[in-house]
Amino acid sequence: MLLLLDILTTAAILFVVSVGLLAIFGVLKIVNFAHGAWLTIGAYCAVVAVKLGLNPWAGLPIAFVAGALLGGVAELLIIRPLYRRPLDAILATWGLGIVIGQLIALAFGRDVQLIPNLMSGTVRVLSVDYSVYRLFMLFAALAIGVLFALTIEGTRLGLSARAVIMNETLARSLGIDTDRVRLATFMIGAGLAALAGVLLTPLTSVDPNMGVAWLIGAFMLVMVADTSYLALAAACLVFGGAQVLVSTFVSPVLGGISVAVLAALLLRINPRGFSRA
Amino acid sequence: MPEDTALLNGRPASTTALEWRAPAAAALVAALIVWISPLVLGAFAANVLTRSMLYATLAVTVDLLWGFTGILTFGQAAFFGVGAYATAMTMTSLGSTPAWMAAALALAIVLPMVLGLVVGWLSFYHGSTPLYASVISLVFPIVVTQLVYSGGLLTGSSSGLVGYDTLPLDLEGFFRLSGLVMVAVTLAAWVFVRSDAGKLLVAVRDNDVRCAYLGVSPRRVQITLTVALAGVAGVAGFLFAHASGVVAPENTGFLFGTQVVIWVALGGRGSLLGPVFATLAIDYLSASLSGDLPFLWQLVLGAAFVIIIIFLPDGVAGLARRASASIFRSSKQTRVPRIALAAPHSAVERSATLLKVSGLARSFGSLSVLENINLEIRPGELVSIVGPNGAGKTTLIRCLSDGSEPFKGVVEIGGKPMKGLTPDRVVALGVGRKFQVASIFESLTVAECLRLARTTSETPSGIGSAPRLSLPVASIEILRLTGLIDLIASPAGLLSHGMKQALELGMVLALEPRLILLDEPTAGLTKAERATIGTVLRHLTAEAGYAIILVEHDLDFVREISSRVVVLHQGRLVLDGAVDDVVNSETVRTIYSGGGHV
Amino acid sequence: MSEVRAAEVLSLCDISSGYGAVSVVKSVTLSIRPGEIVALLGKNGMGKSTLLKTILRLIPLRGGVIHVGGVDQAHLTPARMIAWGLSYVPQEQALFQDLTIRDNLRLAVRSDGELGAALDHAFGYFPFLRERLKQKAGTLSGGEQKMLILARALMLRPRLLLIDEISEGLQPSVVDRIVGVLRDERSRDRTAMLVVEQNLDFALRIADRWAVLKMGEIDDEGSCGQNAHARVLEHLSL
Repeated sequence: MLLLLDILTTAAILFVVSVGLLAIFGVLKIVNFAHGAWLTIGAYCAVVAVKLGLNPWAGLPIAFVAGALLGGVAELLIIRPLYRRPLDAILATWGLGIVIGQLIALAFGRDVQLIPNLMSGTVRVLSVDYSVYRLFMLFAALAIGVLFALTIEGTRLGLSARAVIMNETLARSLGIDTDRVRLATFMIGAGLAALAGVLLTPLTSVDPNMGVAWLIGAFMLVMVADTSYLALAAACLVFGGAQVLVSTFVSPVLGGISVAVLAALLLRINPRGFSRA
Repeated sequence: MPEDTALLNGRPASTTALEWRAPAAAALVAALIVWISPLVLGAFAANVLTRSMLYATLAVTVDLLWGFTGILTFGQAAFFGVGAYATAMTMTSLGSTPAWMAAALALAIVLPMVLGLVVGWLSFYHGSTPLYASVISLVFPIVVTQLVYSGGLLTGSSSGLVGYDTLPLDLEGFFRLSGLVMVAVTLAAWVFVRSDAGKLLVAVRDNDVRCAYLGVSPRRVQITLTVALAGVAGVAGFLFAHASGVVAPENTGFLFGTQVVIWVALGGRGSLLGPVFATLAIDYLSASLSGDLPFLWQLVLGAAFVIIIIFLPDGVAGLARRASASIFRSSKQTRVPRIALAAPHSAVERSATLLKVSGLARSFGSLSVLENINLEIRPGELVSIVGPNGAGKTTLIRCLSDGSEPFKGVVEIGGKPMKGLTPDRVVALGVGRKFQVASIFESLTVAECLRLARTTSETPSGIGSAPRLSLPVASIEILRLTGLIDLIASPAGLLSHGMKQALELGMVLALEPRLILLDEPTAGLTKAERATIGTVLRHLTAEAGYAIILVEHDLDFVREISSRVVVLHQGRLVLDGAVDDVVNSETVRTIYSGGGHV
Repeated sequence: MSEVRAAEVLSLCDISSGYGAVSVVKSVTLSIRPGEIVALLGKNGMGKSTLLKTILRLIPLRGGVIHVGGVDQAHLTPARMIAWGLSYVPQEQALFQDLTIRDNLRLAVRSDGELGAALDHAFGYFPFLRERLKQKAGTLSGGEQKMLILARALMLRPRLLLIDEISEGLQPSVVDRIVGVLRDERSRDRTAMLVVEQNLDFALRIADRWAVLKMGEIDDEGSCGQNAHARVLEHLSL
């Protein structure tokens, strides 16, 4: 039971962290290596919220807005010029991540920031005491997933985004402003990343480099999922489950790399995600 | 017909010597500087620079992989770390006698090379993408780091290994050793990239498909390079373990790997010297800064990195190159080889069937592009394939040249089935393919492109550039008739469209393929250029006994040169026969004027 | 020349464009007035598709000037031209195969509010689409897909329609239907059309004027009359 809950909640956390990256990879067809930095930005938005005396939950909307706005600036200045150079876009976003990390360190200091948990304590679930917050993450992942699905399937922007994913030239020849679609997508993806950063604060220590550890795992999951959020959910379950199992039965250290290794092997056999990149 | 063996007088022998003198002299000077420096530098500087020079060696390997071959890799750090750990672990657990030291060195070379083979096999396969290779190069260091963390006492886990016996050298000794290794590796890399074999790297980067269709497996080049450079990184790691006396997981991690990429980018990818100087400068500066400055320094570096990637992809070296070019009006003479006539391959048996296609079918999902194609072609035939757009002509050519295409049916070349063979192996059966859009190596000169086309006949030298370029008669004829022979020192990217087509044809003919597949060779050419190509093609089949399959839209051209015409319509072979019969037939008229649709 | 231009829907002045080092369109001058249908004929590789893509700014213009609706195309984006009333029927990859018919049509209108009226207009020409809105575009037959593409282009009552080889692979009955639809559209809304074709019969049935594109330049042109067929055939002759 404990194992099952661990698997489900790990999958949920991975999904929340990766979904923003998926949106950007699908529409803009680049891997945003600054994703980790945006997680960090989000976490520090929560820090700011607490310092301003607000409810820690207020960090969520602040982070989404801040992340989206900064994402817009990044798309215009850094991503757009590198439209035709996807490998260089990886490098430039990595550089951006370094810059952001150092700026945060300069502003807030290198030390770990302590902020009150959004939620704490345990609850009894079917004969097991389990962390309330991790269970909450299950609902958070579902909520975000549903909202994401509704946006992409139901709104005009979502339809335009799907069109751009499938065939950008055709979309342009129908009069769709593909530049605007890309910008909007990047902003939403960045906002989601920052949001995820806030949600991570009770689970991990908040310091200027906290996001990097999540980057590789998120990135591998997105490569496996390609453009489908359902595939992402499945990937999070499968690989998250593997991570938990390996951590529990083999070693926690090896568990940490199981997502990356398994994803790399899967992609070698079935390079779905890479056929477009 | 050329009887003379030397059509173009190459440069005098003194130029070749000049090729050696300049870099050798520079290396000698650098070695001297390395030797003298410990006498003037303080202990701190010497210590830091010893490490920096080993990092610079690593940067050279990354530049070879990324700048020259186009493989963005974060994994060289892992090979470096494996070498370092292998050394430290041997010293710690097995002993530090000279025999064990030698064993450690051997291990530090062999183990990374074995890992390089695994990484190479994972990253480079028919159909792999550069992004995937980069992904693997990211995952690999992470795996290595985690393995180190979980190694317990054997690897020292997060504390690393320290206190083992090292080579009996003092600070000056290690400085000189590291420096000389750096100079040696840089010199070797410099010589290699300027040699004929070194051009293969650029060829793979520019156009790996064309490489495959010249019989050179790009995957083999990439894997071989990865393995070799893994060994070099291992040596650097060995020296690092000895010089610093401590190895830690950070020496294997992907953060270190990204740092090396940053140094190479800032220094200038593809310039070798740029990365070396950038690494030395940045690493030394990073170590020298104290207080809060290191963090500001990281910020500046990160910002510089982003700016360089976007605005100055060639890095500082690129700037320097452009500045010096404008100042010195640089006469960067590329050696021009002398073109000579190559002895032809064995004569083709005229009667044997060269190409046999039985029941070929190809569909994409539910869409059937080719259906039940049966065709037999003998040496000496010039067969034109005509048909409206979407009839399946290019797909047919693809199925005949790339055995990894999932088609049904049988295709035999010279009696050998080619299903499942990658393009480079199909080329080995005697097939040459010319693409509709001229597929050449834009960064290389015409001569270098032609030389690469001869790779399967004459292994290119890894040290220098051969003074003579042997080409078969057909290639030379193309060069002469099109005037390309006067442009053999010109970069291929600067040629006009017609010249690029001619170059590609020259390259394909240099393979001396028995069966040549041409996809719309006259597209975009002037009338005169068409006539030239037509002459050459006719001559190849009539006298040299080649077989040519030609996909064409220009029916006048088809009528002039073909011996046989095959009509493809909606994926099926509709007509196959002598030129006049087919061209004048009712069926063809209807197809081309719009009627006759299903 | 500018006075004439104002009355013209499309004006191409000595334009050239291409891919990479190749100039596919070398020097084309052509103009179309409202309600006029011009057929652009020529063999493969002569630059016809490239020309259409250049007008739409999918391929950059290298030389010359294009005026769409009297405005220099250099100041317009594809979106603006489409908003003005330019519609394009591509030759290949013209539909989102995995999206429904409804979504394919929806992507062509600017806002969902306009969708109702636009759909009605489309159904007027091709009623079979009405029942199949939820079907994925990829499941339609070749002819049906072409009709969908045409419906999408006509939906917004365009002022200028650029059509790239729509008759390719179609049955004669479907071709007849399309001829009817295009004639109708022209007489109702004075829609101008530039019809790129290899199918001579179809092209000459609907066009007022014809031009033959050879090696990136207009080799010959004229009005559709008695000897048009013969003259064009000469240029396309085998």
